[in-house]
Amino acid sequence: MDSVNILGKVIEISHSNLEIASRIEAILNILAHEMHIEEAALYTLDKDKRLSCRFMNRTSRLFGILSGYRCHVGEGVVGTVAQKRVPQYFTSRNVPPRFGCLFYADLDGATDRYKAFAFLPLSDDSFVYGVLLLCSSGRETIVDSEKIVLSIISRELGGILHTYDLLVSSKKRISELATLSELGRVLTSATEPHLLLQNIATITAKSFNAAFTTIKLAHSFVRLDFQRFTSGEIDAAIEGPLRDLESEALRLRRATSLGDHPLEAAPNGGRLALYCTPILSKDRVLGTITFCKKSEQQLAMEEDDQYLVSAVANYISSGLETSFLNTKLRDVLKELGDAQKRVIEHEKLRSLGEMTASIAHEIRNPLVIIGGFTKRLARQVQIDEKDNRYIEIIIGEVARLETILNEILDYVKDTPLLQEPCNANSLLDEILYLLASDKIWERVRIVKGYQAELPSVVCDVHQIKQVFINIILNAFQAMGGGGTLTVRTEKALYQDRSCVKVSVADTGGGIDPSLLDNIFNPFFTTKERGTGLGLAISNKIVMHHDGHIEVRNRAGEGATFGIYLPINSKTQTREG
Amino acid sequence: MKPATILIVDDEEHIRLLFKEELEDEGYTVDLASNGLDALDKLKRSAYSVIVLDIKMPGMDGIQTLAEIKKINKDQPVILCSAYGEFKQDFASWVSDGYIVKSADTRELKEMIRRVSGV
Repeated sequence: MDSVNILGKVIEISHSNLEIASRIEAILNILAHEMHIEEAALYTLDKDKRLSCRFMNRTSRLFGILSGYRCHVGEGVVGTVAQKRVPQYFTSRNVPPRFGCLFYADLDGATDRYKAFAFLPLSDDSFVYGVLLLCSSGRETIVDSEKIVLSIISRELGGILHTYDLLVSSKKRISELATLSELGRVLTSATEPHLLLQNIATITAKSFNAAFTTIKLAHSFVRLDFQRFTSGEIDAAIEGPLRDLESEALRLRRATSLGDHPLEAAPNGGRLALYCTPILSKDRVLGTITFCKKSEQQLAMEEDDQYLVSAVANYISSGLETSFLNTKLRDVLKELGDAQKRVIEHEKLRSLGEMTASIAHEIRNPLVIIGGFTKRLARQVQIDEKDNRYIEIIIGEVARLETILNEILDYVKDTPLLQEPCNANSLLDEILYLLASDKIWERVRIVKGYQAELPSVVCDVHQIKQVFINIILNAFQAMGGGGTLTVRTEKALYQDRSCVKVSVADTGGGIDPSLLDNIFNPFFTTKERGTGLGLAISNKIVMHHDGHIEVRNRAGEGATFGIYLPINSKTQTREG
Repeated sequence: MKPATILIVDDEEHIRLLFKEELEDEGYTVDLASNGLDALDKLKRSAYSVIVLDIKMPGMDGIQTLAEIKKINKDQPVILCSAYGEFKQDFASWVSDGYIVKSADTRELKEMIRRVSGV
């Protein structure tokens, strides 16, 4: 054996640009070839402190057997060499019964023909990276000069394995950093919680090479429409175990896992492992994030991965908190914007109102004069029937103008509320009785659905009466004088306040949806002869009572107006 | 029985004319004033069963005039008559006897005068 030649080749390969695995295999081949050894196998030390046979020379026959088993440090010859870091050499006469975790019997017929064995630790001064195993059938022993060469080569192999470890762990760190930075990017860019969670699921599924990643929000913390955000597909067979695991993690408030779950539905009879971590925020449990790994990959979560998973969970928790704060902030801003809009609208209406009021007043005097003198004419002058009709028209139109002025001024003025208890059922009965006694109501069927023992509302009865009349008359007019008018009363909630709700439904075909937004605006009307103030005034009155009017279209049927009046008005509560 | 005398106070000439004729038809004697000072002047010289007083007038407005009238005779019946409906709630605090929104239909005015004057 030419030691210098061997070492030269080994060192050349060791420092080459070849991939780590190729370097190791090339060295094993040189060793086998130059030293006339049939078997050159290399065990590496895994993260879980077990040795597994990963590399071999080209002609190895044992590798197929050896690679199927892993052994602990200290177990068998391989384990002992790794533990003591001392090479051991045997002949067929003194070889121990166990190489690694294998019993001799397992190697029956395979090892019989070998006569010389060498076990060399692959280590540097501080750490062992693996074990080199050599078996030869052609040679009786390994001589001392060869042992020196082997110890140098095993040092070299140890160095390569060390490099390999460093490379793997730095690759892993880089990928972790990439994941974290991607998560960071998502957290800073996505403000919508559901978008945020979906993105996190996608990124982490990719990063952990998971079959799926699923984030589930806890029941106590669901403010979103969806509860589950998943990247990848959750197999039906795993759904049950997944839910159990999630509840377990929520209950224990720590990571839990479910290893090696057989997946019946999988096409290749695959097996899955689940790893679930709770997402904690200060003292709250927001939900869980679960990774699912397929069996072909490594099933168990490594310790490093667990750190990453809990980092991801922390990211989600802070992301959710930020996102919810954002949402809250946005809502508040929107509310503020709405309030501001209302103030501006109110101001506009007020100045419009003031202008309108002054015009209305200016108009009233001439109107009274025209109307008044026309009436006198009608009484005093002898005129024919035709002229009389003209005069009647003038008087009628003046009366109409006066009504319009009254309505405008009603809208414009801010009347202080007179507060007194009022029973909506009796008030509605009174109104309906008065209205329906008119002949033009003959073709209207009135259906009443009153809630018995309805609580009283404290309100300005006169104004509320005006509201009910306005809305009932609108319904009447919408039905062209014939149809079914349904009036209901009930207890209901509006903005968490107990209210009496009065619903007025007509069968007048409903309101054009494009007009729905405008019907409460002053001066908006669809009637040929309307001021457009009826609903505006009604709405204003109800708002003064801290109530609310809503409109619902029943397509093709009619419209339903709902009037909510608080049982205790705010003013009342404050004073009482 | 001597017919009741009414004083109409309004800055609008045609309103005065309309009310005068309408009330005279009812048998009242009607006197006219075109502003507050004019009205006070007339009140110092004659007695009226009812004064119908406009509110918005140039110079001394109806509310000021009302106070002056009550100083002269605190029992003088006064009806406020205005184009403004929004003061209706306040008339009680102005110690008037009635408040009416001007209308071409004078029936309400006549009815109120009948009630206030007792004639």
